[in-house]
Amino acid sequence: MNDAISFTVGFSHGVEWGWPIAVYLLLAGISGGAMIISIVTRHFKQEVENSALTKAGSLVGFATIVFGMVFLVGDLEKPLYFWKILINYNFKSVMSIGVIAISFYIPLTAVMFFYAFEKEILKYFGFLSFLVGILRPLRPYVEFITLWFAIAICAYTGFLISVLIRFPLLNTALLPALFVVSGLSAGNAASGIIATKFFKEDLHSFDMKILHRVEWPIMIAEVLLIVMLAVSLLIGNEYQKEVFQAFTSSQFSLLFWGGVVGLSFIVPIVFNLLLGRFTSKSAGIYYMTAISVICGVLSLRMFLLYAGQTFGA
Amino acid sequence: MSNNGRRSFLKGIGLSSLALSVGGYSAVATNTKESQKKYAMIFDQNKCVGCTDCEIACKKVNLVPKDQFRMLIQDKTNPKTPRERRMVRVSCQQCEDAPCVNVCPSQACHRDSLTNIVTMNADDCISCKYCVVACPYDVRFINEETHAAENCNFCVDTNLKDGKNPGCVEACKYEALVFGDLNDKKSKINRILNIKDSLRMKPEFGTKPSLRYIPAVRLGV
Ligand code: SF4
Ligand code: SF4
Ligand code: SF4
Repeated sequence: MNDAISFTVGFSHGVEWGWPIAVYLLLAGISGGAMIISIVTRHFKQEVENSALTKAGSLVGFATIVFGMVFLVGDLEKPLYFWKILINYNFKSVMSIGVIAISFYIPLTAVMFFYAFEKEILKYFGFLSFLVGILRPLRPYVEFITLWFAIAICAYTGFLISVLIRFPLLNTALLPALFVVSGLSAGNAASGIIATKFFKEDLHSFDMKILHRVEWPIMIAEVLLIVMLAVSLLIGNEYQKEVFQAFTSSQFSLLFWGGVVGLSFIVPIVFNLLLGRFTSKSAGIYYMTAISVICGVLSLRMFLLYAGQTFGA
Repeated sequence: MSNNGRRSFLKGIGLSSLALSVGGYSAVATNTKESQKKYAMIFDQNKCVGCTDCEIACKKVNLVPKDQFRMLIQDKTNPKTPRERRMVRVSCQQCEDAPCVNVCPSQACHRDSLTNIVTMNADDCISCKYCVVACPYDVRFINEETHAAENCNFCVDTNLKDGKNPGCVEACKYEALVFGDLNDKKSKINRILNIKDSLRMKPEFGTKPSLRYIPAVRLGV
């Protein structure tokens, strides 16, 4: 097309979806990831009593999604109109579908929280004991459904922004997969921190070993997906090629290399694999790497949103 | 009626714009089969001189805030050939398959049921900006005054409702803008499209815009 006929100005202000959305995407990812990990390990161990990891997973899963909604709704210019979404569903809209999924997911995580803290809750709110009778037999089913919703929530956060066809960095089928995997990674780290810090889980317990064991395959999958995303842009059409510079020579490259690569990959690799022999006993190192991973996952979402909306057709 | 007069009039009667426009359409719909209309617009780069009368008219008709635009004319003249003036219209392309409509969670951004024009119900907009980022042409914005997303809707709830051409078309003295119904074989827009080469902006997005551009041809040597 001849250049003089295609316009190059727009009416929006560059990055319209900024950091509150990135935080929301992070929190939703942590919630889904923590829920998936605690349900799967509980099932795998045939757990009867509620372990520290189960408690931590349900607490994190419930708290982060509720907190995430605060960011999502708070980012609206008309937050008090949020209820309009609830009466004017548009089933073609990923956001509507997500809101439907979340309105099932939040109550499910609340029930999961109730299961995990049954004893504690009943100690203070004895009158709730009738709920136990109703809910307890349902636990395996609730866990099964919550597991699928948790995966759906992680994936939906990716679909939410992968439908934006103007932005090649976002408009890719890899995004939902990347969001599931990085959600697992952040959820894993968050559950680990909460389990050891607040529920007195030993840093070298069996459960913590499971968390460490799954960390690596998750990380490898994450690296692979990011590499695929970058390569698909590098070998893509003219718009996609232009976006590739987001990784290498833009104001966001530092966020990518320092935040995404540094915090979520290099820090855990250096402290756990290379220096593992000297540091594995230290709680400080564990918390530092876990927090670093969570910050890395936040950086990934920030990078995708900001660079994604900056380099567009 | 003056700009402000109209605004206070709207506020004063306290009717939602929806109620108002529905009333308007039914009057039109009784004498024509509006639902079978397929409205489109041509921007002819050969004719546009860049006077921006269209921009001014648009703001006036649609009460667009001072520093915001539903449509504007971008000067794309190559600095090396300043005498070959090249203007281009920037506005909603009125996609047949509109991403903004698809993503809106509250159906505020919707297709008008009678004219099929992509338009807004400001009262239902929660200002989530999903449509703004989903529009591949970057021609949506949040109106500073209504806090609702907005796009060029061919004046469907203003001039069109009153049986007039869109404000920009009315204002253009050089016939650079032509508006009409593609399903009406005898319409002016069809006569032009039949004889002139026109194109859709960035067709690779696959949204089938209803806006057609007639690019300038180089005259002389
Ligand atoms: S150009 Fe943008 S605002 Fe207009 S119909 Fe297409 S997607 Fe919607
Ligand atoms: S900003 Fe308004 S019109 Fe746009 S998608 Fe959100 S609710 Fe719909
Ligand atoms: S009024 Fe007509 S000639 Fe003037 S800028 Fe607009 S389209 Fe071009």
